Parts: sequence; structure tokens; C-alpha cells
Amino acid sequence: MDKLLHLWQVTGFNQMTPGQGVMILIGMLLLYLAIKKNFEPLLLVPIGFGGVLANIPGAGLAEGNGILHIFYSVGIESGAFPLIIFMGVGAMTDFGPLLANPKTLFLGAAAQFGIFATLMGAVVLAHFGIFDFSLADAAAIGIIGGADGPTSIYVASKLAPDLLGAIAVASYSYMALVPLIQPPIMRALTTESERKIKMVQQRHVSTREKIVFPLLLLILVAFLLPDAAPLLGMFCFGNLMKECAVVDRLSNTTQNSLINTVTIFLGLAVGSKLSADKFLDLTTLGILVLGMAAFAIGTASGVIMAKILNKLIKEPINPLIGSAGVSAVPMAARVTNKLGLESDPHNFLLMHAMGPNVAGVIGSAVAAGILINYVGA
Amino acid sequence: MSASNLMTEGLNLMLIGMGFVFIFLTLLVLATTLMSRIITSYEKNVGVLPEEGVSSPTAVISPAMNQSQHANDDKNLITVLSAAIHKFRSGK
Repeated sequence: MDKLLHLWQVTGFNQMTPGQGVMILIGMLLLYLAIKKNFEPLLLVPIGFGGVLANIPGAGLAEGNGILHIFYSVGIESGAFPLIIFMGVGAMTDFGPLLANPKTLFLGAAAQFGIFATLMGAVVLAHFGIFDFSLADAAAIGIIGGADGPTSIYVASKLAPDLLGAIAVASYSYMALVPLIQPPIMRALTTESERKIKMVQQRHVSTREKIVFPLLLLILVAFLLPDAAPLLGMFCFGNLMKECAVVDRLSNTTQNSLINTVTIFLGLAVGSKLSADKFLDLTTLGILVLGMAAFAIGTASGVIMAKILNKLIKEPINPLIGSAGVSAVPMAARVTNKLGLESDPHNFLLMHAMGPNVAGVIGSAVAAGILINYVGA
Repeated sequence: MSASNLMTEGLNLMLIGMGFVFIFLTLLVLATTLMSRIITSYEKNVGVLPEEGVSSPTAVISPAMNQSQHANDDKNLITVLSAAIHKFRSGK
């Protein structure tokens, strides 16, 4: 009888807390969004499943020697997984459109305003005692506006590990929602005639330029902002492997098998942070709202910057490409293209929008470096 | 950290952060433009790299391949030439 009682005591029915129940449902919801609605499935499937695993009562997968906790401490606490992913992203990035029109880097810079405005928003909320955010928390929340999953996870793991689960979920869900969040803002800020602006055909960019660019970027990072060197260093390394074309085997591994392998473990490790005591909190709600604001502000400032540039320089710039400055490669660029085609069915903006798009990746990595430098010091 | 202090810190970080992002990317624009100009003028004299990239390390093997190809070519040439000569003579 004792044995039977013991067996009952370890079952889920006996041990389950309401919080764990809710978190398992949230994990299932993420799985539903990923599988049925196709929201960033590559990440939300592992994250959602990890979230369910982490909340199995009594199993302790996300603590102590539990396997998810081991993934977390090996890959995320150390910063390794986001950096490896960034290397893969670098190997998949084509800087051609950016090199053809370097001025689009300004759009990538402007869109980072979303990060800092949100940071300020979080600080203001903390000031009025609505949420209990420290400056480090605020910085980690702001980076959601960078619209770059690995960057968000990297910064959150350094500055606010407690909020990592919510920040990662927010940043990946909003990346999936880019086609819904951005268009209303873009339409509101541009006129029909501005949306019809045709851009000049891009010049051809030679292989030599593409090889030299990552090295140039690396040197600039090394001299100006060593705190961004882990992120941008790996990014440049991945890109150089692709462009130099003598290490195709390494480059293919980086952009395929390696990034996929790491994504599985990264997702599960992020899922392990979806434990009831950390996630079921008003703070999470605050992070979701602020993250949305970060995205919206970033989009708006990118578009406004594009309008300013359009006034300042002779070459016409379609303001729609400004919104692609919030990284989210290549989703944001596709949204730009779609809106451009709505106004003029012959105006293909995709390649023009890829410039600000990859500029946004560089911009948010630079912003991440500054946040880590300022808050971490 | 007191609340008002947090506000100042936040404001500082926002100004420094945005300023620095712009300075960094402006420098990157200048450096990139300069780099492109130098490379474009350099390539006018030297020619561009092939699109599929510079030849890989296996290039060490390729001269050997070329030699055997040359040998093949020579053989073909000899065959063709002797055929032509043969025809020329028989035509006489």
C-alpha cells in the first residue's frame, strides 16, 4: 500500500501546480501557432515543446541536472548558441544590395531608435512604480525592437537572464507578426505618390568588394566597439566564409547543418526558461506590450528617416524601404516589396529593401554592444 | 538606484546609444564608399575576380590535369595532321 501511495505522490495529478498547468497550455499554444499558423515554426516548435517539458511536475528538466537546464547553461548562459546562429546568419547574408547603396545603412541606424525608445518607456514605467525594471532589464526589453532573435537572446542572457524566456518568446512572435504589425504604420506615414517612387537599378557589386566588406566591418568594430565584437565578429566570419568561396564546405555547414543543430538546442534551452514562477507574472505582459511598441517605433523611425534621406539626396528613395531597417531578415524586406507592388504593380522593391534589412542586423548588433557596454560596466 | 537616477541613466543611455549607432554607421558608410571606389578603380586595371570565386586550393592539382589535357590535345592534333597529310598525298 505504501508503494502505491508513493506512486500516486509522484504522478502529475498529485504534484501539478496551477501555474505549471497554465504554462503547459501556453507551451501548447506556441506549438499551435507554429504548426497551424506557421509562426516562425523553426523556433517556436522547439521553444514551445521545451516549455511543456520544463513544466512537467516533478521531472525537474529545467533545473539542477535536468537536460534542458544543461542545454541552457552550456549554450545560452555562455552566450555560445546565439553567436553560432549569428555566424550562420552571416553565412546566409548577401551584402551586395547594401554595398550597391551604402546610404541605406542610415535606415538601419534609424530603425534602432525603437530599441532606445522602448528602453526609455520601460524606465518610465519603472519610475512610476508600475513595473519593477532595472536599467539592465529595460535594456534587455528594448533590444526586442532590434527584431533579431539571436541578438535579443544574447543581450538578455547577459543583462537580464530572468526575463530571457519572455523576451525570446516576444521577439520571435513579433518577428512572425511583422507582416501584420508593419503595413498599417507604413501606410500611415507615407503618401500614395511616395509609395510609387521608383528606385534606380542597383549597380553591380564585384566579388572583391564583397570579400573586403566583412573585414572592413570587423576592423571598424574592433576599433570602435569591442563589446559588439562577439556578435559582429561571428557575423563577419560567417559572411567571409561565404564570399571568399574557397571554403564552400565550411560555409555550407554553417548555413545548414550547424545552424539547424544549434537552433534545436537553442529553442529547447529558451523553452526551459518558460517556468511558471518566472513567466506567469505581470512583468511578462509588460514585456509583450513594450516589445510591440519597440517594433512599431522602429518601423516608424525607419520610414521617417527614409523620407528625410529622400529630401537630402538626389537619388530617389522609396520611403517604404525604411521599414526594412528593423532587421527581421528577410520578412521585413518582403513586406516592403508587397506594399510597393500594391501601389504600383511594376515597382519591385525587394532588392532595394535588402540593403536596409541587412543594415538593420548590423545596427542592432551595434546597439546591443552599446547596451552591454553601458549597463554591464 | 533611486527612481529619478534611473530616469537620468535611461535618458543618457538613449542619447549615447542612438548617437553612437549613427556615428558607427556613418563611419561604415564612408569606409564602404571609399573601399568600393578603390576596388572599382583597381579592378579597371586588373580585371574582376571570377563570380564563382578565386581558384580553390585544388589548383595545385589542376596544372597536372592541364598537362594531361595538353598531352591529349597533342595526340589529337597529331592524328588530325597525319590524316590531313595522308589525304593530301593520296589526293596527288
